[in-house]
Amino acid sequence: MRRAYASEAAAAPSGGSGKLIVNFALPHQTVLKKHEVNQVDMSAVSGDLGVLADHVPTIEQLKPGVLDIISDAGSTKYFVSGGFAIMNPNSVLNINAVEAFKLEDIDSQAVSAGLAESQRLHSAAKDEKVREAAAVEIELYEALQAALAGKSK
Amino acid sequence: MLARSAITARSATLVFSVAGQTRNMATLKEIQTRLKSVTNISKITASMKMIASTKTTRAQRAMNVARAYGQVSNDLIKQAEVEKAAGAKELLITVSSDKGLCGGIHSSLSRYSRKHLAENNEVPVVILGDKAKVQLQRAYPENIRYSFNQLGSTIPTYDESSIIASTILNDKSIEFDNAKLVYNRFVSAISFETDAIECYPVSQIVEAPNFKAYEYQEDVLENLNEFLFANSLHWALVEGHAAEMAAKRTAMENATKNAGDMINRLTLQYNRGRQAVITNELIDIITGASAL
Repeated sequence: MRRAYASEAAAAPSGGSGKLIVNFALPHQTVLKKHEVNQVDMSAVSGDLGVLADHVPTIEQLKPGVLDIISDAGSTKYFVSGGFAIMNPNSVLNINAVEAFKLEDIDSQAVSAGLAESQRLHSAAKDEKVREAAAVEIELYEALQAALAGKSK
Repeated sequence: MLARSAITARSATLVFSVAGQTRNMATLKEIQTRLKSVTNISKITASMKMIASTKTTRAQRAMNVARAYGQVSNDLIKQAEVEKAAGAKELLITVSSDKGLCGGIHSSLSRYSRKHLAENNEVPVVILGDKAKVQLQRAYPENIRYSFNQLGSTIPTYDESSIIASTILNDKSIEFDNAKLVYNRFVSAISFETDAIECYPVSQIVEAPNFKAYEYQEDVLENLNEFLFANSLHWALVEGHAAEMAAKRTAMENATKNAGDMINRLTLQYNRGRQAVITNELIDIITGASAL
């Protein structure tokens, strides 16, 4: 898995204001639009990372996990199902996810029930596609459980 | 002498007016039937306009969200200044729907598509919606690779857009570099414009002038591009739906107004006819009475 590196360093495009501008969009809801924040922590396929203003432009695929938006007002944690986060040279971070919910809106009992069901489906599956779909569900539920456990810490 | 000729003249008019009376009666019944049918039509179009109005407000709200989602997703393409390669293989996707009575929505889309196909005969076409399929099947039947229906009655969901995108991408027999999504852009509640969203291949994104500034894991680009394709398709579907609802509302409003005008005209005609019949009957009675 080769990593391509940025060839040139971007000059401080946020004009030294030090603010990260976030656009966080879902197909059915625009969560954040041109919102100024300090930092965004996310769980990417290549690893967890935190993005600050003037971060090097990067393209990250998000895996199911927690997206933490940290601003002067505090931190808001969302669980995202997956998507992409792209940091641009002009200090704009674009996040597209298919589903996202605030951690406080997620019911841990429903998660445990869902995980048990997916594990049952996975072991009982005869079809390869069904087994793969169940594996994806298991990954999602396990990530949800980890996220909820992390919140209560 | 004069009186006798006057009497014969009057009896002639008597016969004439009897025939005229039967003619007027037949016309009156015709006008009444027409009046009843046009009134029914205007009731239907008025209720369709109300339904389209409520659908438009909802569709517009969904469109603003989907547009923001699509534009955020495509921001990379804009910032990196990705360009289309010369001689790129194209795929045309016409984003229409199954429902009619919406003014020029579908004909505008098929006109744009036909114009593009006239200049590029070999381009494969995917049609979303039966209305455009009917029109394009006549002109370019061999170019059509897929057609989807069951679209247009509700606001398109991301599920539907993903399914359509996966079907197209998984079919390896359709080779394309660029995809052109032809859809109707919502300009205002009373106007729309047929436009296209361009989707580029990974090779062009990597070649883009400002793309060197970005860091990424190599295998992520293919996933990003497929995601981008589904997002752009979702944007086109939802905005197209909003434009269609607005156009349907305008079309039904015009239809109701025209039906109203026709009702007024027919009512006047009916009343004049009725009054003419009464006047003739009176004349008959009076001349009959004075002849006695």
